[in-house]
Amino acid sequence: MILCNTKTMNSNSNSSFNVEGSVSETTSDTAQLVNTEEASTSNYGQLNNHGDFQDSMEDDLHGSHGIRRRNPVQKIEPGSMNILSAKYESLDYDTCENHLLLDEERKRGYPFVVWKDMARWFIILLIGVITALIAFIIDICIEEFSDIKYKELKKSVDKYALIDKLYIPYLLWVLSNICIVFIGSMLVAFVEPVAAGSGIPQVKCYLNGVMVPRVVRFKTLLVKTIGVITAVVGGLAGGKEGPMIHSGAVVAAGISQGKSTTFNKDFKIFQYFREDHEKRDFVSAGAAAGVSAAFGAPIGGVLFSLEEGTSFWNQALTWRTFFGTVVSTFTLNFALSAYHGHPGELSYPGLLNLGKMDPFPFQFYELPVFMFFGAVGGMLGALWNYINFRLSVFRIRHVSAPWLRVVEACLVAAASATCGFLMMFLLNDCRPLGEDPTKVPLQLFCADGEYNTLAAIWFQTPEASVRSFLHDPIGSYKPWSILVFVVCYFLLSAWTFGLAVSSGLFIPNLLTGAAWGRLLAIIIQLILPSNSINPAKYALIGAAAQLGGVVRMTISLTVIIIETTGQISNALPIIITLVVAKWTGDFFNEGIYDIHIQLAAVPLLPWEPPPLTHNIYASEVMSHPVFTLRTVENVGHIVELLKIVSYNGFPVVDPPLADDPEITTYKRLRGMILRSQLIVLLQNKLYNENANTAWSNFTVDMNVFRREYPRYPSIDELEIEDWEKTCTIDLRPYMNPSPYTLPHRASLPRLFRLFRALGLRHLPIVNDVNEVVGMVTRKDIARYRVWRHRGHMGMEELLLSSEI
Amino acid sequence: MEKHYCVFVLYLFYSTISAKDESFIMKANIKENILNQEEGYSFPYPVYPEECTSLLNTIAQYASNFTFCSIKNAKPITLCRNCVENYSNLSKIYNELMTKVVNETTCGSLLISQDRFDVVLEYYDRITDIWNKGHCNDCFDFTNETANLSNNTIRFNKMAEDTMNCITSTYNLTNNTEEVCVRCMQSYISLDIFYKTLSKDSIGVDTICMDIVDSMNTTRSVWSKSLNCCKLRKTPEIIFLCCTGIISLLPLLFYVAVKYCGPIRDLPNVLKESRFKQSILRSVQGRIN
Repeated sequence: MILCNTKTMNSNSNSSFNVEGSVSETTSDTAQLVNTEEASTSNYGQLNNHGDFQDSMEDDLHGSHGIRRRNPVQKIEPGSMNILSAKYESLDYDTCENHLLLDEERKRGYPFVVWKDMARWFIILLIGVITALIAFIIDICIEEFSDIKYKELKKSVDKYALIDKLYIPYLLWVLSNICIVFIGSMLVAFVEPVAAGSGIPQVKCYLNGVMVPRVVRFKTLLVKTIGVITAVVGGLAGGKEGPMIHSGAVVAAGISQGKSTTFNKDFKIFQYFREDHEKRDFVSAGAAAGVSAAFGAPIGGVLFSLEEGTSFWNQALTWRTFFGTVVSTFTLNFALSAYHGHPGELSYPGLLNLGKMDPFPFQFYELPVFMFFGAVGGMLGALWNYINFRLSVFRIRHVSAPWLRVVEACLVAAASATCGFLMMFLLNDCRPLGEDPTKVPLQLFCADGEYNTLAAIWFQTPEASVRSFLHDPIGSYKPWSILVFVVCYFLLSAWTFGLAVSSGLFIPNLLTGAAWGRLLAIIIQLILPSNSINPAKYALIGAAAQLGGVVRMTISLTVIIIETTGQISNALPIIITLVVAKWTGDFFNEGIYDIHIQLAAVPLLPWEPPPLTHNIYASEVMSHPVFTLRTVENVGHIVELLKIVSYNGFPVVDPPLADDPEITTYKRLRGMILRSQLIVLLQNKLYNENANTAWSNFTVDMNVFRREYPRYPSIDELEIEDWEKTCTIDLRPYMNPSPYTLPHRASLPRLFRLFRALGLRHLPIVNDVNEVVGMVTRKDIARYRVWRHRGHMGMEELLLSSEI
Repeated sequence: MEKHYCVFVLYLFYSTISAKDESFIMKANIKENILNQEEGYSFPYPVYPEECTSLLNTIAQYASNFTFCSIKNAKPITLCRNCVENYSNLSKIYNELMTKVVNETTCGSLLISQDRFDVVLEYYDRITDIWNKGHCNDCFDFTNETANLSNNTIRFNKMAEDTMNCITSTYNLTNNTEEVCVRCMQSYISLDIFYKTLSKDSIGVDTICMDIVDSMNTTRSVWSKSLNCCKLRKTPEIIFLCCTGIISLLPLLFYVAVKYCGPIRDLPNVLKESRFKQSILRSVQGRIN
């Protein structure tokens, strides 16, 4: 309906601008540069002028196409889920096939292809080795520092418990926690905020094709490494596995580029990998290597990369990723074995080691029990996500200043110590020494020759506690102690995740789950005294259910758990539990990573296009006035354009046949050029004084463009003299001459699939005669989001804001 | 039915014979031919050398002695001390069996690992397992193949005995547990400290001889459970509870403070989107104006 009127309508629109007298001199453009009212989605310099048109209210009310529509708001509350940030840019996954690329291919030929392929394998090898070495450093530091800390605390408790001065060791514990966490928290809050949390949401966004600023920098890796050590040694309810995945991703992004912007050092190697396409492939391999080092699960790592991240997957990449994960787990194994004094024994495959489980036989009638466990895990996971979601919203709204975040982290560290000490103090759960490998047996109020079981759980790293819950015999813990522990740890871990410290959620959730799994096993044993219940089995199932209920992963989590326990025969119970946990959890809310991604307002593209949207057409999805450039363009105009809009891709069009503003100004598409390319062109002053002179013989090749990657200077940093603004650039050798396009009658699912499958960043929408009428970017598509809640579903259209 | 049974037994017999290790048959064949003919056998039937069978009998005797002794000393555990004689005898004779050479082969190779039953090895392994599980070697110094109680063991036994004597005598005298705790505190604590120095790891059970562990456990149990001398440990700890209370309140205060005392910030604006429809509407509006 709208489309038939396109021509007349648009000529009207142009004439209206003329009336307002704000037309730039470049009449050949579809969109007018200096027109403030016509400013567009990402042009946030001028967008939020409040002298709105009257129709905007009415327009917002009925929405564009009859779907659930936002309220007509001009302001939004921070921490809302129905918002996308305009600040996130996409990655350029699509290769730009310009003349320079063709030249390079011609020059280098097949030997270069072979060489590049070998270089890829070599880089993957390096990624695996270095990721594993980082994992090794983290592991050793945590182990040694925790050992010192808890040994000293034990001495103090032993000394002061007898003389009614228990507050001294308690305050010592609180103080040590606070001091250690303070270091990590300061680093995270002030040096590199993107290193907070587990990093999995950020890596997921990156692999989805969103450029999360600073996520794969060396500085982030450094802060992350120190942060995770301080978080775990500081006694927070956090794990070191999630950060490992992020570390792997950073390592991959760093090594594959052969240069570091942090150190301002270019090693002059691997220049041919300096593009988003290659970098992203390496990052997916790096994330997999991180998983593999964290859990000793090479196959789980590959599957994690596949399930959580990478949108683009092919056989060669799978091979390389698998090679990387195997190298990573082998290297870590080798290093840890050597450290623990058995070089060559290779018995430490990963950071998390759940201990060898026996294959547990299960009966047919136990399958419903596993499903029940899955349902409990799903509900507890959903509750965990909800608590964490509310806390995160509160943090976004009220605890955003860096120093407040540091204070909060320190308070949580103090609260964790309080929780642990109160539990040891109030629940006098004693066990005789020597039945299990307790590292720091604390007597406290127990009889001689016994130790406090709760102290044993709290005076060790959470990972060792998971092992205790999985492997100790059924009578080891009193049900009441476990119940109190579950409640406390559940709340503590939900409270901890999202603080300004780098720690993950795998271990705390495994620990909570293992604890309630064991508790249920004890209850079942009490109900059915004649059967002998294997607590290890139910503890493992509970751990899997809880973690599955929180993160909602199925395949990769199953494989990871199978690989860490070393039992393939446990696959069926675990997968049943995880699937039920995922379904139950999805009934209430989304996985924790997706919640955090939505809170960060990242335009993430889901796997599938929204259903029932074949009636939404490209003409409604696209951003309408398009800023275009002519094939031979004036430098002054380019500079002006780049300064005014924040777009990153510009269609290059034929000059108009007639410079008549009254006629339609749509122009025929010739190619696409990126902002980064324009910047490089301007920076190297690759332009001519006269439009008619032939192209100068300045040698331009791909390396000119690669040199600045990945951080190009902004347009304001370039110095362009006034006289230069009259020069012209011929864009044709640099532009991508055959960008993917779609006609304006293409449906949303079609757009979505093309976008998602090819990893596009810009998609020009053309009319029947190949003239650019609009442009679709990631945010235009990501704003259609499907929601599911308690069995209902629908689609909502998200708002955009540039201030989040 | 019975007939079948007989056939089955015969078959078993036959298969056992034929399953004999070939090397054994090869080695022993010629000699045994002669031996057997002397003893009246008309075919080469394997007979084990006299020396080996006598050793085997001795082993059987010693193994049964050790088993008897170990079960008798199972609780309270005095196994290491009382059965060390039997154990060292057994291992001596076993080693002899393994090394004794008769007719160019050792007895060991004739008797051990020749069939899937493997009774001798099986029993010997079990006995060494029991011995090692209790870290019994740790109690003794082995000099010249004779086991003597090590100095540590002797010292520990003496201290444990002293402590128990002190407890029993004081208790008999006063019939008052309080008094026992006070009087025997010194010897108990020195025993406890000495015990802790014996262990190489923090738990102290992986490397200490089981006799000592059990004796210590008994003493501790008597001390802290029967006599209840550890009640010193349960103290009110008022200051501690106050501290925990204050520290748990801090986060709450923090959250309330940031909620109500935080600066009021400007809310983020929504971007106005530039869509086809809006731009048309706007242009229409503009034209009307």
